Amino acid sequence: MTYILLFSTLFIFACGDSSHTDSAPTSGLTKVSLALNWFPEAEHGGFYAAQVHGYYQKRGLEVEILGGGPDAPVIQRVATGSVTFGVTNADDVLNARAQEAPVVALMAPYQVNPRCIMVHANSGIKNIADIKNITLALSQRPAFSHYLRHKYPFEGVTIVPYPGSVVQFLSNANFAQQGYVFSEPFVARQQGGDPHILLVADIGFNPYASVLIATETTIAQRADIAAAMTGATVEGWEHYLRQPEATNRHINQLNSLMSVDILTYGANQSRALVADEVATQHGIGHMSAERWQTLLTQMVEAGLLDDAADYDIETAYTTRFLP
Amino acid sequence: MNTLSRLFSSIFPPLLFFVCAVLLWHLGVELFDIKPFLLPSPLRVAAALKTHITALLNATWLTGTGALCGFLLSFAAGFCISLLFSQSRLIERSLYPYAIFLQTVPIVAIAPLIILWIGHGFYGVVAVSFIISLFPIIANTTTGLTSVGQDLLDLFALNNATRWQILFKLRVPHAVPNMLTGAKISSGLSVIGAIVGEFFAGYGTEHFGLGYLIILTNGQVKTDYLFACIFFCTLLGWAIFTSINVLSKFLLIRWTGVD
Repeated sequence: MTYILLFSTLFIFACGDSSHTDSAPTSGLTKVSLALNWFPEAEHGGFYAAQVHGYYQKRGLEVEILGGGPDAPVIQRVATGSVTFGVTNADDVLNARAQEAPVVALMAPYQVNPRCIMVHANSGIKNIADIKNITLALSQRPAFSHYLRHKYPFEGVTIVPYPGSVVQFLSNANFAQQGYVFSEPFVARQQGGDPHILLVADIGFNPYASVLIATETTIAQRADIAAAMTGATVEGWEHYLRQPEATNRHINQLNSLMSVDILTYGANQSRALVADEVATQHGIGHMSAERWQTLLTQMVEAGLLDDAADYDIETAYTTRFLP
Repeated sequence: MNTLSRLFSSIFPPLLFFVCAVLLWHLGVELFDIKPFLLPSPLRVAAALKTHITALLNATWLTGTGALCGFLLSFAAGFCISLLFSQSRLIERSLYPYAIFLQTVPIVAIAPLIILWIGHGFYGVVAVSFIISLFPIIANTTTGLTSVGQDLLDLFALNNATRWQILFKLRVPHAVPNMLTGAKISSGLSVIGAIVGEFFAGYGTEHFGLGYLIILTNGQVKTDYLFACIFFCTLLGWAIFTSINVLSKFLLIRWTGVD
């Protein structure tokens, strides 16, 4: 009997969930899809806020947001047209364009990349340049890990793959790892750890994060959709920084591993990273040629791209849809 | 002359197939204008292979060493476990389900745990490779040890053979063909195990195996480089498999007569 109850409850939940995401198509709305590069988290707050508060709908879009995960092939899915839009980081846009994937950045919520290195406070390490004689967990994939290894000697440092959790950080006093400033350090602190945060952006490596991308074809042929999506997403981020509560509850429903507490913390921390001085002056989502050029130079320097002369940085992003 | 023509006839067909397949691949990419991030042309893969040859060779060497150690360990351990199984039906019945567990457990799920217990680096890689290649050895060797004909067992019994003699003079020789079959299956698995191990273990700061390169190139959409990595992975598996195949042909002459 208990089982029947349990199953029927699950069934109701399952139904409730699907009816929620597959809301009946309202007439006149254009259906588009948006693929995230990770499980729904605070770093996607603005996109969800635009959906929750109807900014997409107001501009005639019905956006289906697809959650991602480790190694989610966002760029491939956007480039082949199986989804309309994607969320990725600026370094991946350049990697993809080097392989002739025709993706273009439309807006960049995070002016300051939330990527950090989390060390134990009692390790005495105050700067990324000081890191030595520890075990450091880094993802092999993102550009920052290559840039760090290229730039610093990391004397006596054993670099191991990023474990995806803070378990090893908590159990090993000589362990440091990558993270997003509002995610891993929060969890580590919650579990009684003593994380000290070193922001990667502080050393001058600062690719735009959670960037909205589309294909060259979409931009050329459906400029109206690209403009609507970009405009509504900017409004979504503005709303999220102002009032994240409803959006956070929604994200929590989609990804129960993200508690409302941690999402609230994420939203608070994001404020300074999204609405920094540049964004206050030029508007949220702003991108500059100088920033893209710097990233390109750094990636060539770290051996990630062949030769800067081969790339036309102006084709990798466009600001024409920004308000 | 005869051996030469035989060698030619065994090498020529697969070589011809290879050339045709590569040509077809190249034409397909050109004809349908497939972009490199989806499917790079063979020329592009060859160029990536040439650019990164040092990294690829070093990675192959490292992964190969891990796979070979994992394989040899699993062979030794699998053989001992099978000897135990063949000596007591009770032990076999109580432990065999757990041996199957080794085969069915999702290695990707437990690899992070193994790394947590054993530590990062080479030993972690060997451990994952060991676990994934153990079961085929146990299953095949146990079958060989326990499927000895009753007539042969009777013959040994009639001659008052000890349990020890029956095991090493009858059961073990009888099991050699099965052991080699198990070894062939495990040889490929050990490479996969080492690569999966490297996804989670890594080797430190300066050294990178094929598993690392696969994650890296896949994540950075460097599809041409990824294809070059896959090429070396298959080459590695093939090399280990072929060595065992040659070894088994040599050892099995006693069973099958002159080849």
